[in-house]
Amino acid sequence: MGATEIVEKIKDEAVSEREKIISAAKKKADELIKEATAQVELQKKSVIKAEERKGVEELERIVRDARLNARKLRWTAEEEMIAKVLEEAMKRIKEVKTSGFKGNSYSDILAGLIRDATMSIIAGSSTSSSSELEVMLSAEDASFVSPELLKNIAKEVSTEGVNIRLSLSDERIKSAGGVLVRGRDGKIEVNNTFEQRLARFSASLREDIVKTLFKGR
Amino acid sequence: MAVEALKLIREGEEEGRKLIEEARERAAKLMKDAEEEVNRIKENAREEAKSLAVQISDKYAKKGEEEERAIMKNARAEVEKLRSTAESNLDPAVNLVLEKILGLR
Repeated sequence: MGATEIVEKIKDEAVSEREKIISAAKKKADELIKEATAQVELQKKSVIKAEERKGVEELERIVRDARLNARKLRWTAEEEMIAKVLEEAMKRIKEVKTSGFKGNSYSDILAGLIRDATMSIIAGSSTSSSSELEVMLSAEDASFVSPELLKNIAKEVSTEGVNIRLSLSDERIKSAGGVLVRGRDGKIEVNNTFEQRLARFSASLREDIVKTLFKGR
Repeated sequence: MAVEALKLIREGEEEGRKLIEEARERAAKLMKDAEEEVNRIKENAREEAKSLAVQISDKYAKKGEEEERAIMKNARAEVEKLRSTAESNLDPAVNLVLEKILGLR
């Protein structure tokens, strides 16, 4: 082999080695980029999935809050209307005192309340066959109850073997109306003032008000 | 003659070394460029992820606002209807309360 051939062989081998080195580097570089691109794509999918999940949760929270606010709005309106009914009822008591209610004079109404209170006291008291009870009224209502009326009520409720005496107390109560009946000794009393009756019946009244007020909605 | 041949061979070897050295440098440059490209891809991906997160969040926030508006609109309409019904039933409801507190029922 001559020198020229040897030189050619050396050059060929060098060229071949060069191609190998560059080709390997290119391959490795391509792999690096391909790997990074694939990794980034995966991360992108993962980010989208996580953000979509967060978005759905946020949407659900917004809808939940909105539904709660809507319920509050309805509840507040209902409460306002119920309060209006109660307020209006208390306002109309003044009218009842002058004009009566459903054919009953205010005296009749007070008589009924005194009768109920007396019967409750009788039912709740011991076996004593006679009781002295006094009726307390507001200053405004005092003129609606006469001694004669009390006598008649006492007579009515005494027919069951119990002797009842009712008298009008000089003491006045602060109330929009109604009566308070108590034993002379003050141990037992039934408060039938309108405020107390309203408080006593509030739960059942509320149900009835709602049924009547929102009927046909 | 032999000296001339040896000189030729040395020159060839030198040329071959240079070729390989250049190839190694080029390979190193290819790898450096690739690493830079990888960094660029990752940086772009980070920016894209931020932008995507904002877009997705905005999409659901907008949808949420729309649903909220619709729910509250319905609720307000329902409340109006409720108030109207209640107004028309106010008298019977007041009478019911009066009957109870006056002891007539």
